[in-house]
Amino acid sequence: MVKALMVVLLVVIMAPLLGGLLTGIDRVLTARMQGRVGPPVLQPFYDVLKLLGKEALAANRRQVAWALGYLVLIIASLALFCLGGDLLIIVFTMAFAAGSFVLGGFSVRSPYSHIGSQRELLQMLAYEPVLILLALGVYLQTGSFMVKDLFHQSQPLLASMPLVFIALLIVLTIKIRKSPFDLATSHHGHQELVKGITTEYSGPYLALIEVTHWYELVLLLGLAAMFWTHPLGAGILLALAAFFIEMVIDNICARLTWNWMIKFTWTGGIILCLINLGVIWVLRAGGV
Amino acid sequence: MHRLRHLRGELPGRSHRREIRKFVTSSVFKKPGDISVKECPQVLKRGGFMITGKYLVAVSIWLPVAAALLCWLGQSYSLRNIVSYLTGIILAVCALGLFLSGPFDYQPGEIWGLSWNTAISAADFALLALILYIGWRQRHKLIIILAAIQALLLICFDFGLGGSEIEPVPAFAVDHLAIIMALIINIVGSLICIYGVKYIAEHEEQHPVAKSRQPRFMFWLIIFLGAMNGLVFANNLYWMYFFWEVTTFCSFQLIGHDQSDEAIGNACRALWMNSLGGAAFALGLVILLRYGGGDYLSMQYLLSHHTAAGATGAILLAVSMLVLAGMTKSAQLPFQSWLLGAMVAPTPVSALLHSSTMVKAGVYLILRLAPVYAGTYLSSMTAIAGAFTFLAASVLAISQSNAKRVLAYSTVANLGLIIACAGINTPTAISAAIVLIIFHAVSKGLLFLCTGYVEHEIGSRDIEAMEGLADRLPAAATIFTIGIISMFLPPFGMLVGKWAAIESAAQLPLAAFLLVLASAVTALFWLKWLGRMLEGRPGAIAQREIMDSHYIASLGGLTAAAVLLSIFIGPVVNSMVTPAVTQYYFSPGLEANLETIAAGSGGLFSVWPLFILLALIAVAAGFLYQPRKVKNPPVYLCGENAGLPESTVFMTTGENMGEVKLSNYYFTGFLNEARWSRVVNRVGLIMILLLLGVTLW
Repeated sequence: MVKALMVVLLVVIMAPLLGGLLTGIDRVLTARMQGRVGPPVLQPFYDVLKLLGKEALAANRRQVAWALGYLVLIIASLALFCLGGDLLIIVFTMAFAAGSFVLGGFSVRSPYSHIGSQRELLQMLAYEPVLILLALGVYLQTGSFMVKDLFHQSQPLLASMPLVFIALLIVLTIKIRKSPFDLATSHHGHQELVKGITTEYSGPYLALIEVTHWYELVLLLGLAAMFWTHPLGAGILLALAAFFIEMVIDNICARLTWNWMIKFTWTGGIILCLINLGVIWVLRAGGV
Repeated sequence: MHRLRHLRGELPGRSHRREIRKFVTSSVFKKPGDISVKECPQVLKRGGFMITGKYLVAVSIWLPVAAALLCWLGQSYSLRNIVSYLTGIILAVCALGLFLSGPFDYQPGEIWGLSWNTAISAADFALLALILYIGWRQRHKLIIILAAIQALLLICFDFGLGGSEIEPVPAFAVDHLAIIMALIINIVGSLICIYGVKYIAEHEEQHPVAKSRQPRFMFWLIIFLGAMNGLVFANNLYWMYFFWEVTTFCSFQLIGHDQSDEAIGNACRALWMNSLGGAAFALGLVILLRYGGGDYLSMQYLLSHHTAAGATGAILLAVSMLVLAGMTKSAQLPFQSWLLGAMVAPTPVSALLHSSTMVKAGVYLILRLAPVYAGTYLSSMTAIAGAFTFLAASVLAISQSNAKRVLAYSTVANLGLIIACAGINTPTAISAAIVLIIFHAVSKGLLFLCTGYVEHEIGSRDIEAMEGLADRLPAAATIFTIGIISMFLPPFGMLVGKWAAIESAAQLPLAAFLLVLASAVTALFWLKWLGRMLEGRPGAIAQREIMDSHYIASLGGLTAAAVLLSIFIGPVVNSMVTPAVTQYYFSPGLEANLETIAAGSGGLFSVWPLFILLALIAVAAGFLYQPRKVKNPPVYLCGENAGLPESTVFMTTGENMGEVKLSNYYFTGFLNEARWSRVVNRVGLIMILLLLGVTLW
């Protein structure tokens, strides 16, 4: 119990520091890829500190409540992950968090915010099956849905689930709001979207959402690291490599429409998972 | 835990399938798949509570009949009011009494020198004659044909095979699953009846009729509860069939309540589709009697002797007929249209049909029979058919803007999930199915009642018309928020059920895949609906909302149940679900202590931390947003805002003003309901045929 609380405390303090730093590195590397110098690595922290000092503006209480829900539920998912919890429950809690974010966008009478929320819903529709199939794959491979049981595996998951890992990369692109899937809200303003789901957030409330994105980034990279648990260092390298791939994809792709995203994930992503799971299932059935 | 792992190893594989085939074709009855299924159900307790139990069963069935008659003959609002409250309280107490007394058998004596069996037989024929008469009056061929088929089957059963002489004992066997159903019927159902008294009075104010039809409405609403109680307690399948037909007839009367052409048409559709199920049920009875013998008409005997079924797979065929009957009643594809059509009825009817009665009778029967068909192709096919319905209905729900149709599709979908669990047929899946039945009844009842209340307040059941409900009807919006979240998100009971379902589905890849897709789709239609209601102008102040006491009692009761049952899901699983599973299976499936639940497949879920966090969010939001300190600027409209700060009017071309209009995505171009219904109905029909086909094979 005490140990669990320590883990949670560590997650709450360390994850945003790590997430913010990664975001800073992302900004620098992205700038370099575009031939710019870019901001200092610590720029995301400066941004958030500045936002925190700004005046509080919001439409109503539920807008703030759902944004807070997004933060708290993402922290909960990350804590569950770090405690080695049930993968399906982690995925469902992440869905609640994303849903909370969506409802925050819906709580104001703004067209941009609503377009963002509708698109975020479509993004959830796009990636959710892949994440649940990932959990099923882990179960087929290890006989348990618990993250902690992955550490009893001698062979890395990547060896048996390479296609699922590729599908996870697609999910990652959507979840960390990178092109071609930065549909609901993006790092830059866009004509038809402005800032999408976050358009009506400002000051400390926007800071809250930024910090949530940091937690979410750590959680998502954690999912990638899960594919190589022995030694954990390899997993971390794997996650960082995945993150770098995302940056490259972001910089070489244009934004695409949501129709395309759904078609791509429901065919490409899901089929990758299915082939991979099918192979595992057949091998397992054959072995038994 | 060790045993669970052991069991997992034993579950369906290629080798066992081969053996199943052998079982169907050869004379050796062996079912390797049902390692996890007990060959003999727990012996029911006798004595002790027997006296009380007997009265509780009698009251649960007869009190609604008496109360219904009183409502019909009394003709006064205050009488209906008192009767519905009193009946509700007594029925709820009865159900709790049953829960405390535990399982028992009950064989009623004679009535005026006649056996009850004869009386039920006579009532069966009378009911069929009535349905034939209705079919003739409506010039509805299908109703006539199906009623005639049922009558012929019954004549064959009673006189050809001498079924009228055979009476399996006991007539009623109240086991743990029946007790759970009784709790749902008598508590959720009673709350709906209480709501119904007020609702139907308002309904008649809005749609005046020459002669009040309120007494008639309450008659059918309340008598429905009695029929459902009889259905879940019945051990004699012939009796169960009678109650089954009564629920069909009640729903016909209730759906057609408004007497409009649409209402009558939809009521007739419900009648013929359910008559098809009734015919399948009757055929199942005939097969059981002909090839199994009179003993097989006892549900308990069937559950305990299925392993010695004899030379042919005839028993399995009869069971597949009963499963088919359950699927029509539970509005599975391709039979979903009767339930969608049922929404023309006043909302309490929808609430009753969808949550605690009617459709739950179907899944109850399928779940009851699960141990009998464990390890067969019928089981796998049932799982796949259910999972397919879960997916197809969820996808169709996306395209709907009518709140009641969204709810109806969601019901069809969740019943599909429950049936998929029954088909997966591991202890964990069966636990999941029971958890889903309980929590679906509460949440769906709540959502329907709230929709009805909102419809009377704003004059529409369209989701687009519910825009900004959070400021107009804050209490209703809060109830909707809780109801919708409790349908599919953690840490609520429905999610626990879905979680356990997916964990156990890993055994059956195709079913698992369909469940995964469907699970992702559900979030879309729920959240976009909820989003419409939460929308609000900057700084808008919520209006005061005055709710009638009937609505406070029913909506408040169900909201409290949705939250409290989810918080205390550990005790719910331990005291209700586990006994219901272990009476027929060797392991409990879901194992729970006070705050955590473990699934047999190797997952663990803690409920309380998430509930504490949700409470924390609600409290902390109050501190983060203090109305006096926070400014409410107008929304961003590219700098073209015009008019008052809180409005969303903007300057368009030529000094004109435009008002921002927002609406949900419904994808009606791609997700054309009529086109997709045709497609999925065909697939559904093929699945049903396959389901029957694999049994014969």
